Amino acid sequence: MSTGAGNGAALAPRSPDVTSSSVYADGVPYDRFAEMRATPGLVWHPYGEDGFWAVTRHEEIRLVSRQPEIYSSAVGHTNLWDLEADALEARRSLIDTDAPDHTRLRRLVARAFTPKNIRRWEHTVRSITGQLLDEFIDAGEGDWVESVAAPLPIRVILTLLGVPVEDSAYLVELSNHLVEGTTDRPTLAADAYGNTTDPRLLPFNSPASHALFTYGEQLGDQRRAEPQDDLVTMLVQAADDGDRLRPEEYRNLFHILVFAGNETTRTAITHGVMALADHPEQWQRVLDDRSLVEPAVEEILRWSTPVLHMRRTTTGPTELAGTAIEGGQKVVMWYASGNRDEAVFDDPTAFDVGRVDNPHQAFGGGGPHLCLGAFLARLELIVLLQEMADRGLRLRRTGDAVRVPSNFVNGVLSVPMAVVA
Amino acid sequence: MSDGAADEQVVMAVDDTRCIGGGQCELLAPDVFEVDDDTGIAAVTAPGLLDRVTALELLDRCPSGAISFAQPAP
Ligand code: HEM
Ligand code: SF4
Repeated sequence: MSTGAGNGAALAPRSPDVTSSSVYADGVPYDRFAEMRATPGLVWHPYGEDGFWAVTRHEEIRLVSRQPEIYSSAVGHTNLWDLEADALEARRSLIDTDAPDHTRLRRLVARAFTPKNIRRWEHTVRSITGQLLDEFIDAGEGDWVESVAAPLPIRVILTLLGVPVEDSAYLVELSNHLVEGTTDRPTLAADAYGNTTDPRLLPFNSPASHALFTYGEQLGDQRRAEPQDDLVTMLVQAADDGDRLRPEEYRNLFHILVFAGNETTRTAITHGVMALADHPEQWQRVLDDRSLVEPAVEEILRWSTPVLHMRRTTTGPTELAGTAIEGGQKVVMWYASGNRDEAVFDDPTAFDVGRVDNPHQAFGGGGPHLCLGAFLARLELIVLLQEMADRGLRLRRTGDAVRVPSNFVNGVLSVPMAVVA
Repeated sequence: MSDGAADEQVVMAVDDTRCIGGGQCELLAPDVFEVDDDTGIAAVTAPGLLDRVTALELLDRCPSGAISFAQPAP
């Protein structure tokens, strides 16, 4: 294949390489994505010994997401790299399952996450949020991630699941180890937390996953004995109800529920507040007009795109954007690019809390895998902005953000912020 | 399709083998759809009539492609 700056199609990588994790330490390579969006057809991007089709336009991300029969989540893996068959089987959860298994698993939990049922948690979310904000205001400054963005989502999801308050510190610790597992940084020793399973077979190759499974099983046993009005009770009842949920499916679901909403929501909260601090005139608009809270939240989601991409694998030969795709090839949807697509968003590089038409793809491009927790994440962000506005809270950055070097999550490890007096 | 008047009423149906129970339909048209708390599947509550503009938006929003036009309204 030619390497010069030639005819466009199927030429990659130009620099920077969008799969290189270290590139993301300096920020998402938006310019490179803009080049790929402007390239007719799909771009073939080398990766390891093989490569993938890079899907970078909003329209085609939508199409791939909504045709799960052609673009499978169960073949290979939903991240860039492949997993060996035994590892894939052992880890299989909602995200890497196709219908009909996916439909069955998803329905078991979907009820708890409908907009109607999520609204019941507003009061809980509000009190958790208010408490964290008041602590931050008292301190006057601090690391926004550690003080607010990280504890908020994990406390919320643990409350929904029914994890006792006294155990939440332990679960936060496990969740932090899992986040480490998504980066190149070294993680725990293989036998940490008494793990005896080959880490390869554990989500994120992390022994913390073993600890999370064990915890989930113990909590499940407790709820089986003494049912409560919480998600774990709902899941164990489904597990006991004939063949609706197998034990390994239960623990994988428990795991994904603890993890999926944490790093993601934390990222949205961090980038969102950074954007509001960097664009004080935008925050002023929200302070002056509370009806802008909801559009501001959608803009924060578009702006932050916490999950940068998801992968599918073709079940047979097909065609997309005029490009022929073979069966068994990787197709990677870059949501971070779809969310900057000039064909869909007016002035996509502007942060505009009043953006009216905002069909962002932060929760995916639609289709059956659309983020399960979308309404919970929205509720957390809406309540956060409302509670900040109620307190007249203005923040400024007092130092640089330290980013997670990952091509998968748009994460921030720390960012110092101070209350503007 | 584009010849239908905006206020034209249409009847919607849910394919219960595809629905993933996320409740986008219930959010947009609470008088027409309800997700059953036991099965986690959306059902059309009678008579399932919806104006065409909302219906088209719903076809777009339903993530699983479970919603379709059952028949045009009489
Ligand atoms: C701002 C916060 C969040 C963002 C940006 C986000 C983003 C995403 C994305 C992009 C997907 C994949 C969609 C696809 O493949 O089509 C996803 C799936 C998922 N998310 Fe979220 N998410 C967030 C919060 C949450 C929360 C709070 C939960 C809580 C439980 C959650 C649970 C899940 C689950 C279980 C899946 C897999 C769904 C499936 O495959 O059926 N997420 N999320
Ligand atoms: S929007 Fe579609 S998938 Fe979601 S509950 Fe309604 S019918 Fe089911």
